[in-house]
Amino acid sequence: MNDIVRDKAAIVGIGRSQFGRFLPDSQLKLGATAFKGALADSGLERSDIDGLSLHMGWPLGLDYDQIAEAYGLDVRYVTQMWTHGRFIAYTLQHAALAVISGMADVVACVTAISFTREREILGGPGDMEGMREGGGTHGENPPYGLTAPAAGAALAYQRYMALYGATSEQLAAVPIAFRKHAQLNPHAYTYGKGELTLDDHQSQRMIVDPLRLFDCSLISDGAVVILVTSAERARDLKQKPIYISAMQGLRSGRDEFIFAPRGMGLNQQSNTRSGADERDLTVYRNAGIERDDIDGLYTYDAFSPLPLFVLERFGFCAPGEAAGWAQNGRIELGGELPMNTSGGLLCEGHIGGWNSVYEIASQLRGVCGERQIKNAKHLQWGTAWGDSLIFRR
Amino acid sequence: MDISQKPLPRMTPDTEPFWQGCRRYELLLAECNACTKVHLPPGPVCPFCFSDDLGWRQASGRGSVSAWTVVHKEWFAAFKDDLPYNAAQIELEEGPRLTANLIGVDNDKITVGMAVEVTFDDVTDDVTLPRFRPLS
Repeated sequence: MNDIVRDKAAIVGIGRSQFGRFLPDSQLKLGATAFKGALADSGLERSDIDGLSLHMGWPLGLDYDQIAEAYGLDVRYVTQMWTHGRFIAYTLQHAALAVISGMADVVACVTAISFTREREILGGPGDMEGMREGGGTHGENPPYGLTAPAAGAALAYQRYMALYGATSEQLAAVPIAFRKHAQLNPHAYTYGKGELTLDDHQSQRMIVDPLRLFDCSLISDGAVVILVTSAERARDLKQKPIYISAMQGLRSGRDEFIFAPRGMGLNQQSNTRSGADERDLTVYRNAGIERDDIDGLYTYDAFSPLPLFVLERFGFCAPGEAAGWAQNGRIELGGELPMNTSGGLLCEGHIGGWNSVYEIASQLRGVCGERQIKNAKHLQWGTAWGDSLIFRR
Repeated sequence: MDISQKPLPRMTPDTEPFWQGCRRYELLLAECNACTKVHLPPGPVCPFCFSDDLGWRQASGRGSVSAWTVVHKEWFAAFKDDLPYNAAQIELEEGPRLTANLIGVDNDKITVGMAVEVTFDDVTDDVTLPRFRPLS
């Protein structure tokens, strides 16, 4: 157990722009809207912000200096991540470490995305990730027509089905749950479109077998800004602090493939599965809680197999059991483990995962109305690739 | 980048001998002369014992499908005429896996575990891609 960071940094302000598709605003403008929202929410002034932690770099974002220049900031700490789901946690973690260590007093975590104006970047001719030395991270292999991240999730779920007898019908439980959540969230782009049925899911066209239309998040536009400061400073601010209780990084090595559980036989992984790795459970120990204390789980759900794989990563169920475990409303509001209660990437919007960070803070403030998790105290961000943060009120 | 053309493999000093082997219709595995283990993709050192003393071993060319997909969406214009097309990860008899397309099999007949063997496709004068077909 290591509690060196426990509850020493806190989220004290949250802001967001409209989420949608083909929004007219630039990334900078979307980000400015979210930034102003976060400042107003926190009661802080722009001049209080002395650090930036950005999740909007290559392949589709601005560099830090343009942001500081455009928003008239004068910061003494900057960190910048690629705009990939695997770097969401780090963007928050680096902000927390900066305020704990005194490198900054208040860090603004910024993501602003105009996916719809940069369509060709995602898996298309403008996507250089698969062509750089070493290739892409999601199993991309452009000479064979695998140019998009979705194919990595498809390969993984295809193998998962073969190994465990899981089905496309079981997979549907994920988008069905998240669409249900989005119907309680006026900010979601599927709000008002109604719930999904199994027939709706099964009748949609195949995108990359076995992933159908509703198994893939739509690309969208929007921005979120999250303000992080030290617990000490947070106590004097307007909002009730949302503490970061523990955090851990993503896992990598020959036994890991970003879009599959460890040891599932993708890429150069072994064919040896085991239950949750003690290394992955460290985040609960460091937060001083048990896994059963988690009131809701939030994850990067660009493709619907990923929320299943995260359940196995953190041992909410055993290897091969997640597709069955997720049935009958278990991951829905009111279920045993609500996941992505705002609708996630699949149904609220693909804001690089930050829509879920916004939701975590809102849930712990208790302001989510109809979709409020009752008495939510501990919420977890965790991904299929093992990174995690635990938040508490 | 010329988007009307299918992308070709990017060669690096570590991978070039693999692609040269394909031009000779040989499927090569990077082999460690210190610990004798083989690996893919070809790296600068042995990922198992970290030795620099690497060589090449010809693979049998046989293996099995460990994962597969069929792409229905046009992400890249040069592949439009191929839609829907398959891609698979192949676990070679020697252990390492590589990605390629399957030929000589209907997309709805592909299964995890099906036995396959390598075949070579000269896609340009300079580049030959390995693909796989059902084991005869």
